[in-house]
Amino acid sequence: MPKAMGINERMPRRKVQQFQAHGQHDPNHTDGRQEGPCFKDDVRTRSYRDSIYQNRHIFKDKVVLDVGCGTGILSMFAAKAGAKHVIGVDMSSIIEKAKQIVACNGLSDKITLLQGKMEEVVLPYPKVDIIISEWMGYFLLYESMLDTVLYARDRYLVPGGKIFPDKATMYLAAIEDGEYKDDKIGFWDNVYGFDYSPMKEIALTEPLVDTVEMKALVTDPCPIITLDLYTVTPADLAFKVPFSLTAKRSDFIHAVIAWFDIEFGACHKPITFSTGPHAKYTHWKQTVFYLRDVLTVEEEEVVSGVLENKPNDKNKRDLDITISYKFETTDNLRYSEGSCFYRMC
Amino acid sequence: MLQETKDKYNFDLRRIQKELDLDFLGTIKLVNYIRSQVKAGNLSPDVSSKSNFEDEVYLKPVLEDDALLYSLDDIEDQDPEVPGGTEAERRVTELQEDLERLQSQFSEYRIAVQKSMEEQLSKEDEKLISAASSAQKSTSKAEAIDSDYFSSYSYNGIHESMLKDAIRTDGYRDFIYENKHLFKDKVVLDVGCGTGILSMFCAKAGARKVISVDNSNIIDRAKEIIHENGFGDVITCIRGKIEEVTLPVPQVDIIVSEWMGYCLLFEAMFDSVIFARDRYLAPGGLMVPSHATLRIAPFADPDFIDSHISFWNDVYGFNMRSMLTGIYDEALVRSVQPSTIPGDSSVFLPLPLHTITVDELSFLKEFQVTLNEDVDSLDGWAIWFDIFFMPSRDSPISDDAIPSEMQKKGFVAFTTGPDGPETHWQQGILLIDHGKKSALPLKKGQTITGKVGYQKKSKESRSLDISIEWNVQEGEKGSQEWSLQ
Repeated sequence: MPKAMGINERMPRRKVQQFQAHGQHDPNHTDGRQEGPCFKDDVRTRSYRDSIYQNRHIFKDKVVLDVGCGTGILSMFAAKAGAKHVIGVDMSSIIEKAKQIVACNGLSDKITLLQGKMEEVVLPYPKVDIIISEWMGYFLLYESMLDTVLYARDRYLVPGGKIFPDKATMYLAAIEDGEYKDDKIGFWDNVYGFDYSPMKEIALTEPLVDTVEMKALVTDPCPIITLDLYTVTPADLAFKVPFSLTAKRSDFIHAVIAWFDIEFGACHKPITFSTGPHAKYTHWKQTVFYLRDVLTVEEEEVVSGVLENKPNDKNKRDLDITISYKFETTDNLRYSEGSCFYRMC
Repeated sequence: MLQETKDKYNFDLRRIQKELDLDFLGTIKLVNYIRSQVKAGNLSPDVSSKSNFEDEVYLKPVLEDDALLYSLDDIEDQDPEVPGGTEAERRVTELQEDLERLQSQFSEYRIAVQKSMEEQLSKEDEKLISAASSAQKSTSKAEAIDSDYFSSYSYNGIHESMLKDAIRTDGYRDFIYENKHLFKDKVVLDVGCGTGILSMFCAKAGARKVISVDNSNIIDRAKEIIHENGFGDVITCIRGKIEEVTLPVPQVDIIVSEWMGYCLLFEAMFDSVIFARDRYLAPGGLMVPSHATLRIAPFADPDFIDSHISFWNDVYGFNMRSMLTGIYDEALVRSVQPSTIPGDSSVFLPLPLHTITVDELSFLKEFQVTLNEDVDSLDGWAIWFDIFFMPSRDSPISDDAIPSEMQKKGFVAFTTGPDGPETHWQQGILLIDHGKKSALPLKKGQTITGKVGYQKKSKESRSLDISIEWNVQEGEKGSQEWSLQ
């Protein structure tokens, strides 16, 4: 039996192992995902690097706070871009490595690294001009550090200060995924000749973090919520938003998927990256929510509904997600509506 | 104040303190217990027994800056039974003693509160909600590790990956179904039953009774699954540690268990299986599987070294070699290609499951391998295990049996080595730190002798330390330790 799967000490924020990497959706990415080093995720790190290096005029002589700095790569980008001083804060003991790395790159006098909670550490500056942070989790908000970023914003950011990135938008779309739904959900109907339906019930409530192929998309994407980091509050992270998905072709719908786009709007020329199925692979992949029923849709027909997301009452780190949908069509045999509950834990 | 509570609410703190023989911490717990009960609306908390407020949670003050907690020791001073000193000197000594006692009590209290808070916090990480409410008396680190261990098996994903590991699950199924005569009317114990698949195999093969034990929440699912498949009469599920539960039978005819961890012995679950064997297996009873072997082979993979080690030399223009600190200390679990094994493999420990003891699981054993191709550098070692299901405890099997050959003879066996299909166990990869001196190239035909040691990190820990000493014939020597955690 494998070792503790729910726990990934090296990267507590990303419980990669719990969400199975199976690679069937995208055979090019079966390897190296659980590997660890975040910056092997090119899209993400490059976007941060570009948004910092291409905006040296914004960073020049500024005090920068890096929330959840990890190995310190973003802090070093900011220091190299001419920041007056960078403060990196992380709760993890990775900060010890970060200190060594910063030292051997000759940036110790430019970067102060602090281990501790944002709420508790004492910064060497009362206010900062810029906050940089790579806070996003799976489904944008699962085990994300957004709360901490917002705390840092309210306490330390000067009026008119900038946040990198400053905008996140979540999208939904519906996919055809019969084969894989059968492997993930149908599997439990017959396990070596036995009925494993109790496991199936749980499997249906577990969103799957996985790469989805572009060709699986049956509908257009629908933006459901945009978080403006200058104004969003922790209370806004529990939300209930409508969606409307228009089929691009006649097909079956087995699941709804979610992803997010990130924007560095403070840049001279805004830089964005997407974690959607159309974009280059990122470790966030997409989040797949299997529906209990299979919908049979025709081109231009619309599945509408509401997605509700809120932190679990007992365990704030878990997310309770409900997707209610209605597929109205003149064909009574294909009419369908339902409400599915999911928990990311 | 105490007089007031005594008169008004018929509550005599000092009396209760005495009756229940409460120490300082006990009194603090009592106060917090009462406060929390009252806060929750219960105006007459049950204080008849100490056990009502034994829980560490009551070390945490319910009221901020609770004045009563801070003046608890004054209570004793006010106690009329304590004779007041008359001589000034004696009084000073008493006060000094009091002060010392007070200081030590408060530091104890502080530590206890700290500890209890930390536990509360770490409990939040644990998804085992029921365990949190029922098992809160556990305070030791070992138990915390254990509870993490068992709760890690409460997720669907881990069971899915094990069930979908066909090499593993087919192996058990094939042996059980092809040997129904062994199971017919027998009493079987399944140690660490998980979702109950092996138990159901045994029930289907005709076992009279199957007792399935697991200490993870998954057993609730197992019960449902077993019931839905109509085996509720045959299979009894028991939640708990095999060392602690009471079985409904004094002994069993067969023990079936899938206990194998990375590098075979990671997780130390086998210790529990040995316990079960010694405690419950009838004389002449059968262990399923019956034999295991641990193998070691040389590993050379320049591409892997490049992506795993050299990568850190330049990360977006920064030198991140600090990330390499300790990188050679950790055993990796990876599935490697046969082409990365430039030599033969050697069995360093055969494990006859019927007789091996827990003591034998910490060892230092010799091995010898021969290279079958030239390599620029010996990058490390690969470790894996093979599993054999022999139909009786006396079935002959050699110490260096090979699964594919045993299969040809009609026995059920499987390998987790690079030559076989991938399993979820993959292989243990132990990278050699060549340090400053560059590694020497090795030639085909060269022999490497050495010793492999396995040592559990500590008694409570489920992690594993592996040491290897090696000596290349007319070449380099080395020794290194790795930890698998």
